Amino acid sequence: MTETTATPRTRWTRRAIGAALALIATILVLVEQRNVGIARDEVVYMQAGAGYADWWLGLITFDHGIREHNITLTFGGPGATDHNREHPPVMKTLFGLSDKLLHRKLGVVDEVTAFRLPSAAMHGVAVALVYALALGLWGLAEAIVAALLLMLLPRALFHAGLACFDAPTMTLWLATVYAYLRALDGRRWPWQVGVLWGLALGTKHTALLLPFALGAHYLIVAWRARPAGTWRVQAAAIIGYRWRVIVSLAVLGPLTLYVVWPWLWFDPIHHVRDWLAFHTNHVHYNYEYLGHNWNAPRFPWHVALVTTLFTVPAATLAAALIGAGVWLARPRPAHGAVLLLALSAAASIGPFVLGTTPIFGAEKHWMPVLPTICLAAAVGAVWAARAVAAAISAVPARIAIAVVAGCVVLASVVETQVAEPYALTWYNTLAGGAPGAADLGMNRQFWGVAMRGVLPVLVEQGAPATPGARTYVYTHDAAPAWGMYQRLGLVPPTLLDAGWEQTGIDRSQLAVVIHERHFNRHDYLIWKSYGTVQPSFVLRSAGVPIVSLYRRPR
Amino acid sequence: MPIAAAPALLLIAISLWEVCAARHDATAVPDDGAWQAAAQRVRAEARPGDLIVFAPAWIDPVGRWQLGDLIPIAMAGRMDAARYGRIWELAIRGAHAPETAGLVPVASAEHDGIAIRRYERAPAIVVGDVLDRVASATGGRPSLELAEVGFEPHRCLQISPPPGAPLRLTFPAFPLGTTLVGYVGIADVFTRRDVRSPVQLEVELGGRVIASATAGVDDGWVRFAAATAAGAADLTFVLSARDAGRRLCFAAEARQ
Repeated sequence: MTETTATPRTRWTRRAIGAALALIATILVLVEQRNVGIARDEVVYMQAGAGYADWWLGLITFDHGIREHNITLTFGGPGATDHNREHPPVMKTLFGLSDKLLHRKLGVVDEVTAFRLPSAAMHGVAVALVYALALGLWGLAEAIVAALLLMLLPRALFHAGLACFDAPTMTLWLATVYAYLRALDGRRWPWQVGVLWGLALGTKHTALLLPFALGAHYLIVAWRARPAGTWRVQAAAIIGYRWRVIVSLAVLGPLTLYVVWPWLWFDPIHHVRDWLAFHTNHVHYNYEYLGHNWNAPRFPWHVALVTTLFTVPAATLAAALIGAGVWLARPRPAHGAVLLLALSAAASIGPFVLGTTPIFGAEKHWMPVLPTICLAAAVGAVWAARAVAAAISAVPARIAIAVVAGCVVLASVVETQVAEPYALTWYNTLAGGAPGAADLGMNRQFWGVAMRGVLPVLVEQGAPATPGARTYVYTHDAAPAWGMYQRLGLVPPTLLDAGWEQTGIDRSQLAVVIHERHFNRHDYLIWKSYGTVQPSFVLRSAGVPIVSLYRRPR
Repeated sequence: MPIAAAPALLLIAISLWEVCAARHDATAVPDDGAWQAAAQRVRAEARPGDLIVFAPAWIDPVGRWQLGDLIPIAMAGRMDAARYGRIWELAIRGAHAPETAGLVPVASAEHDGIAIRRYERAPAIVVGDVLDRVASATGGRPSLELAEVGFEPHRCLQISPPPGAPLRLTFPAFPLGTTLVGYVGIADVFTRRDVRSPVQLEVELGGRVIASATAGVDDGWVRFAAATAAGAADLTFVLSARDAGRRLCFAAEARQ
């Protein structure tokens, strides 16, 4: 029974299942993020978001009007990173509003959780979208399995738990793809696709890649549907195939971006140019890959492929391979949906094959590829199960699906359980887990999130000899988060951030190194200052060192 | 079993393998108890001056946590391992430290996944070390640093040659043995990222170049060596960089 032929009761049941999966995904993210440290960039987004939210609330309560001066003071400035103007504001604004409502006003969650909740909710939306897409194209079993597999991707779950843009970008990318697919039915007002793409643009610049997928798909499906006739007739038919979709994307997309980003309200061309220039000229951060520290192009063409191979559960990948085979072998669903999913994945991951695109964010920068993998995996797992049921009459299809898909999902459950809360250090079992990836020289982590795990030991070792005595801590990559850790009560006010580099180290009594290969230099700076190479504690994830804590010898 | 069941069986097998392997991977690295037992064994037998190394390199922080008090900074930041006659290697996952390449252990044991190996050999006898003679250098003022070169710690003389103009650093009456061995590299990952040109080093003895090396941004700690005649002589290092601000870092010692 397809979605269109289902009874109203069945339709409601299916919607309830989708909503439940979305809710479970959101709750799972919120639970998991509690032990995830505060990412370096997160602090910037939180601070900027709080300002954006204040501005919008001030606007709707008539505290202020729309003036270039007050917009610049909140959303921009002369510097390339003033008020985080290098990133568009949609998610940051939601982070700030969530903090204002759920933490400051209602007090139902702590500050960090409040900031992170919109990202978690967006992950729930992504799960719901995958469910809806699979339900419409294949069936209930595929929909549930796809949703579970997306929910249980360890790295995606981790990124969804941060007040950052990567998981929400995946959601809005997918939402745009979904809206575009539905808009191909020839509806009169396909406004959704343009608005959603505008929101995706308003979340992260990587949404600029989406038109490559949508454009290529449009041309292909329009070509397939073209009438016989002269080339003029055919060209007109291709362009006019679903011209309202094109108009929606071309007009409503930029317009939505403009509306949600007050920084563009004045001098929009200049500000858009600055925004894009920041990313086209972005510094190449250090990133370890297969034993080499990469910080300048050309990067290996296979970074994105190998990293994806090592950061999606192996069973999901295997099922996706089978699913891809099924897609190739079977008649395509309506409007070339599979082609669209493939193009979406290619547009997302393709730039990282070029060798010049920054690779430092790894899988978080090509997360929109993940829904395609999970959908293929669901199709593959359910197809394999149905094949058993078809061949062995004693095995009911439901049981076969439960067993086969259940095993694939179980593998994701275990990988997720192993991965959290240090999912950036985690790699799947194809890599040999975190230790195997360390052997291979894969990136250990970034953003300083592992600091959260060492705080109890740090507090214990930094206990003042006399009440109220101050202890200075070289907090390394966690310096931006230190104030928030103090506000959360995870660090007492007597433990103070010592400052940057050698000056901070020389001032400190405790020092932390959050391990990445290019951060080894911080160990050596500490050795020089402390006169010892011996840490007082080493935090590990699956046995792999992620933070060293040093205590100055007395 | 019909062939149609093969994909399903394959998926079940991969899934169950992943369930077991993921858990195994997560607990495959020796725990604190194993490290403490291994450290106790080394402490009982180690002599002052024994080199202690860990393998693979990523487990080094854990090794130093357990045995760091036996590792002076000069040892951790060594030029190379040649001057150490006894080496303790604590290794997991079948790894070996580069310092023990080609050596055969004279003793080995295992504690819960940690291999403890002791190697013995005739150490290099060092008769002259530029690091000890930095004050006597003429032609430039290098600083003695513990620097990051190739993501490793190295005690070295660090200096930034003026771009395009070789800097001649001379150590007068430097005591020489039969060989001169040294290393050169570029310190600091961020300067290596931002400026991509290499640095060059030449060693002159009696007006003749006896060794040279080029270190690029990805080359790490590059070795050079030359045969020498025993006795004191003026030893000159000619240091070159095309760009400004290159943190050229080098060490060299004369061996008997």
